[in-house]
Amino acid sequence: MTRKLYSTVSFFLLMGVFGTAHAQTADFDPDATLTLATNADPTLNPWTPGAVVESNLINTLVFDQLVRYDKEDLTPAPALASSWEVAEDGLSWTFTLRDDVTWQDGEPFTADDVAFTFNDVVLVEELAANNGSSFGPVEAVEVINPTTVRFVLSEPFSSLPYYLAYYAGILPEHLLGDAENPLSVASFNKQTPVGTGAFQVAEFVPGSYVRLERNPSYWGGEPKVAGVVFSIVPDPNTQLAQVLAGELDMVTVSDPALLAGVANNPNLEIVEQSQNVYYFVALNQNDPRFQDVRVRQALLYAINRPAIIDSVLKGYGEIATGPIAPLQQALYESDVPNYPFDPEKAKELLAEAGWTPGPDGILAKDGVPLTIEMPTGQFGYLVPATLLVQQYWKDIGVQADVQVLEWNAYIQQMFVNRQYEATLAWWSTPPTPDVSPYYASSAAEAGQNIPGYKNAELDEIMAAGRGATSEEAQIETYREMQEFLARELPYLYLWYPDIVTVRNVRIEGMLDINNPAAFQYASEWYVALTP
Amino acid sequence: MGVFVFRRLLQGILVLLLVSAFTFFLVNLAPGGPSAAVSLERTAAEREALYRQYGLDKPVAVRYMQWLSGVVRGDLGTSLTQGLPVSGLLWQRLGNTLQLALTALVLTALLGVTLGVVAAVTQNRLPDHLISSVATLGMSVPGFWLGIVSIILFSVKLGWLPSSGVASVGQSFSLLDRAQHLVMPASVLAFTLLPNVVRVARSAMLEVLSSDYVRTAKAKGLPNRAVLLKHTFKNALVPVIAILGLITTVLFSGSVVIESVFSWPGLGRLAIEAANGRDYPVILGVTLVAGTIVVVVNLLVDVLYAAVDPRISYD
Repeated sequence: MTRKLYSTVSFFLLMGVFGTAHAQTADFDPDATLTLATNADPTLNPWTPGAVVESNLINTLVFDQLVRYDKEDLTPAPALASSWEVAEDGLSWTFTLRDDVTWQDGEPFTADDVAFTFNDVVLVEELAANNGSSFGPVEAVEVINPTTVRFVLSEPFSSLPYYLAYYAGILPEHLLGDAENPLSVASFNKQTPVGTGAFQVAEFVPGSYVRLERNPSYWGGEPKVAGVVFSIVPDPNTQLAQVLAGELDMVTVSDPALLAGVANNPNLEIVEQSQNVYYFVALNQNDPRFQDVRVRQALLYAINRPAIIDSVLKGYGEIATGPIAPLQQALYESDVPNYPFDPEKAKELLAEAGWTPGPDGILAKDGVPLTIEMPTGQFGYLVPATLLVQQYWKDIGVQADVQVLEWNAYIQQMFVNRQYEATLAWWSTPPTPDVSPYYASSAAEAGQNIPGYKNAELDEIMAAGRGATSEEAQIETYREMQEFLARELPYLYLWYPDIVTVRNVRIEGMLDINNPAAFQYASEWYVALTP
Repeated sequence: MGVFVFRRLLQGILVLLLVSAFTFFLVNLAPGGPSAAVSLERTAAEREALYRQYGLDKPVAVRYMQWLSGVVRGDLGTSLTQGLPVSGLLWQRLGNTLQLALTALVLTALLGVTLGVVAAVTQNRLPDHLISSVATLGMSVPGFWLGIVSIILFSVKLGWLPSSGVASVGQSFSLLDRAQHLVMPASVLAFTLLPNVVRVARSAMLEVLSSDYVRTAKAKGLPNRAVLLKHTFKNALVPVIAILGLITTVLFSGSVVIESVFSWPGLGRLAIEAANGRDYPVILGVTLVAGTIVVVVNLLVDVLYAAVDPRISYD
């Protein structure tokens, strides 16, 4: 008995030894290349206007940022900056940089590159760099010594590290410093950009693909896959067919209705990810009817959000309570006023506000019927979702006139000219609780405050949040803010969509939390050796 | 003939000028703006800065004159979204489009004419009915659907052909590889265009077959083969050339749908991306190229008429 036990134990011990040895010598294929998709020709400079969704993930592989997301909770984590601290008055942040980083062309990376990226690119208004307005409170970046920079602010800005982690790649001064406009150097943006990231561009065939190969001297350790190819495939149906055929290793699916053929394929897995994205209905606050909070609340009570999530999003989403999504675990507050589907309650609230059924069943006040101009754009599932909202409102006697516009024309009308009474759209923001760009009174006409909501009390809460120096103060302020927003409804919050990614199971070492974070740790991706 | 061609070329230049002016004002006056500026993330100040960078703060008429004076000097401007010279983009894409278009055209012409002739000769018998059914099918099936279904069948299920693109990633040029990539998009494109040619060829053949001189030729005892090839086919060619000319202009200016489904980097895809993103210089560049193709192909068709039918003369 003892002997038997002994031999069993030693068998497992041996197994363990062999198992480990196996893992150490040949756990990944160093020659593997992953093929991913993008929907249009990318621009290989993270700040160039127009470099958006088709470029963001490629640029994340090529360019490093001072800060990236933590693997677990998406809080700011060290990247090119190894540490940082905020001054006591909150008016400056000092970042200590790594001293072992080189550009992909061999030049050393220094504090001058960081200062160049911000002082000469991001903060120059005429260049209109992507996300440039997010850095509004930053006045300048000072070089203290080759491995230290200081961000000088005009007002406290507790979310600075979050914005530095959000598509904020550092550019090489030695290559772009002399350019008249560092954002429009075609040989850089469209051929051979140089970053400090895990992968470098080997070949860019316009309209066809961008081929990246590993950066062997990457500061985070040599990447485990030899290369990453981004195939330019504009049609989402074709993208999915290519994943099924094994020609693509991964694709993000914008319309969950396309997922039907994926579920029973053993080579593929469906990864549900979250980003700080929320869909909303904006009610134009220049319209006196919508300045009454009861009307806003009623219009939200009237919408059956779970039903829309089930039908339009195929279940890939959850009800939104405010602009801070649950993935911001430390700050998300679920205990706020919520608005379960309740048409009776909606009618009551509208009656309180003076809207009573007219002869044709449409609510009216002082003889004026409650009709709402509701333009929508041809993009994703905006049109079906808008039509459902129209139907739910009709059920309580509110008539929405939906006008479907081509996407670009829609943005012009709704966002640039603000010619709408209600519209359904979404915000995608960095995972920071600082939502002032979308809510501040100062952003009402010229900024991203689309409804044009102005409230001095909210402005104060958000300023307190930006100025908060301790984590407790931040959590408390932003809890108060979420409660306020859920009660006042500057936007009618609809849902947080899941970002659905279909991945070939051969990809390993890739974070599941979301793609922006997963791509910041691309050097850890690997493909297991098949025995 | 020489005078005719010269006069037509002059007319063509006038046509291009009018088309460019019309397009320029149309796209500039349409709602919307360059996607970098007209996007959700942009503040009003940034948008103004971008409009200044792009020169869109000037009046439309001024911009048209600037653009026109550039065109005369061979400068088509810079793409707003790509940041690259428009002429370079057009050259790249035109090459790919011509590859696809020529292949599809040859397939359409050969198959279409052959099937049309066979259908005419076997009028109201089984082969005619079969061919007509296939033609009706080709006409009613939308190209994007056929494209996706072919990808699912030949790439996903059978794994015979690559699903999209012009060539495999990172390989040096290989004719076989190119051909493999070309097969599916060219066939789908040909299949959707085929019915036009089949129907025109069939009815033209039928018309000629019932004419007096064909009856005479048969009556004087010429072999069937000679009647068909020498007397009928050649005389039925004029409408066929006309329809092929129409198809050629469509093909050469790029098939938007097929190029998108098969990720084929051609003119059609460039045009649709430019239109969606309001990339004005590219929209105009594509318009100019497509306009030139229409002018030249129409001229060629007219010249071909004269070559095929001696009754047609331009002197």
